[in-house]
Amino acid sequence: MNQIQTSEMISALADGQLRDEAFSRGVETITGDQLAQETWRTYHMIGDVMRSGELAAGTDPIVFVSRFQQRLSQEPMFETESNANNLVAVETQPTIASLLQLEKPAANDASFRWKMIAGCASLAAVAAIGWTALGGIGGSTGQPGSAELAAVSSQSGAVPTSGERGVMLRDARLDELLAAHRQFGGASALQMPAGFLRNATFEGPAR
Amino acid sequence: MHLQLERCMRHATSTDFMRSGRRLLAIWIVSVYGTMGFAVAQGSSITVPPTVRTPERSVGEWLVRMHEASQLRSYVGTFVVSSNAGGMSSARIWHASDSDMQVERVEVLTGAPRSTFRRNDEVFTFLPESRVVRTEKRESLGWFPDLLKSSDSSIPEFYVARRVGQDRVAGFDADVVHLAPKDNLRFGYRIWSEKKSGLVVKLQTLDPEGTVLEQSAFSELQLDAALKVDKLVQMMVAPEGWRIEKSDAIKTSAGAEGWALRADIAGFKPMSCYKRRATTGSALEGTMQWIFSDGLASVSLFVEAYDRQRHTQEGLFAAGATQTLTRRIKDWWLTAVGEVPPQTLKAFAQNLERRK
Repeated sequence: MNQIQTSEMISALADGQLRDEAFSRGVETITGDQLAQETWRTYHMIGDVMRSGELAAGTDPIVFVSRFQQRLSQEPMFETESNANNLVAVETQPTIASLLQLEKPAANDASFRWKMIAGCASLAAVAAIGWTALGGIGGSTGQPGSAELAAVSSQSGAVPTSGERGVMLRDARLDELLAAHRQFGGASALQMPAGFLRNATFEGPAR
Repeated sequence: MHLQLERCMRHATSTDFMRSGRRLLAIWIVSVYGTMGFAVAQGSSITVPPTVRTPERSVGEWLVRMHEASQLRSYVGTFVVSSNAGGMSSARIWHASDSDMQVERVEVLTGAPRSTFRRNDEVFTFLPESRVVRTEKRESLGWFPDLLKSSDSSIPEFYVARRVGQDRVAGFDADVVHLAPKDNLRFGYRIWSEKKSGLVVKLQTLDPEGTVLEQSAFSELQLDAALKVDKLVQMMVAPEGWRIEKSDAIKTSAGAEGWALRADIAGFKPMSCYKRRATTGSALEGTMQWIFSDGLASVSLFVEAYDRQRHTQEGLFAAGATQTLTRRIKDWWLTAVGEVPPQTLKAFAQNLERRK
């Protein structure tokens, strides 16, 4: 109840509708309360997104991705066939599937924020790339580890989660490194005939 | 008003998330298949055919011919780059040259609008959405003609060229040339070189099994187009109100930064080393980039201070021909990127050493 009132006040403040005393009360709330600050930022982000996608700087992508990875690693593992049936039945587990079915009308802030993250996750997921474990870095290169390979392929029906073979999200920083490699590292005799065109054609970092 | 909005957003994001879950799964399955190919590749070594027929042209001769064609001819075309990871980008290309200047305009047709202009080794990138022009000098563009002709070139030591047939690309007859690596530290290339001029009209990067990792090709090409160098140069001026960003890379040396390689990686020579200024606020701030090349393939070693929060995942990944390796080295974090097999990046990672 109180929370809703606060949200409404922040909303009005964000829209520039508060005057005089109401205005100073609004500012006071935001400066004093961390939750209110987050709501304030969220409202602005929503506004920015609605107005123009470009303005939606949002969370620092690096911070976001590391948080997302952390969160992803906490998700319970989706097992293959054997557990597939249970998955539908088990409602108590906060799996991704059950999260999606949450249709509580209350402005549950925590879950709202999580869903905001989920929304952004769809963007990040486009750039998600499978990573292999670095197992053999110190060992001989001729050992790809066929057992490891079998393990990977047997999981192919599962949603990638934590563990050695997880999902590496290609974040903004990695994109910058890849761009810098294309930019300065194009040290090739094929650069002039085709390499430069290839690098210029390939999508650069999202800026 | 905001409550409604919030509800609406909540709905939108949950469906997005469902979609993203599916996408994640799909991408992961693709990557697992990719990984399988990958691991097999690691296990095998390149077999050079025991009897290579005397080629009509050597590797060096082919490369010089291709290079000169790109310098001397004017052309307009559509260039398409696709990778085995499913990525595809295309661009419209204009290329004009006269005796002492080469100008190129690349208008990207995929994703965010972007146009790149090159005048010899000067590169301007126009980003209309943010009204920014990025300018930089790419000295690497000037290295190769001389390097190819000099006896110092190590390309023939590590690659062998063979004309494997002919084909038609974008309406032009082309020689198909296979550049096969002599060891398993580099990828091979299949190059379509236009018969009369030698211009590269199509290029494939191949893994040791001969699988195409990445392909670049003209889908449409107009050779010897009536293009004027000065017309293109005129277009290199930043429109009023645009911001000009200069490259923040400063030249340094690996030694000065306190890094060295314990042993050389066969064929790969250090080409240059850069560091990003610490004041620019760029994501690459303070990162060293040490660049190596064997003449055809290049590797960048990015080294920065280790950050527990950000640097959580050591690993290797592949996207098209580009491989990336991340690894912690004591208080440092290495990201190695290159159009080379994973074992090459591993060799670099193993040999990189702090000397300070």
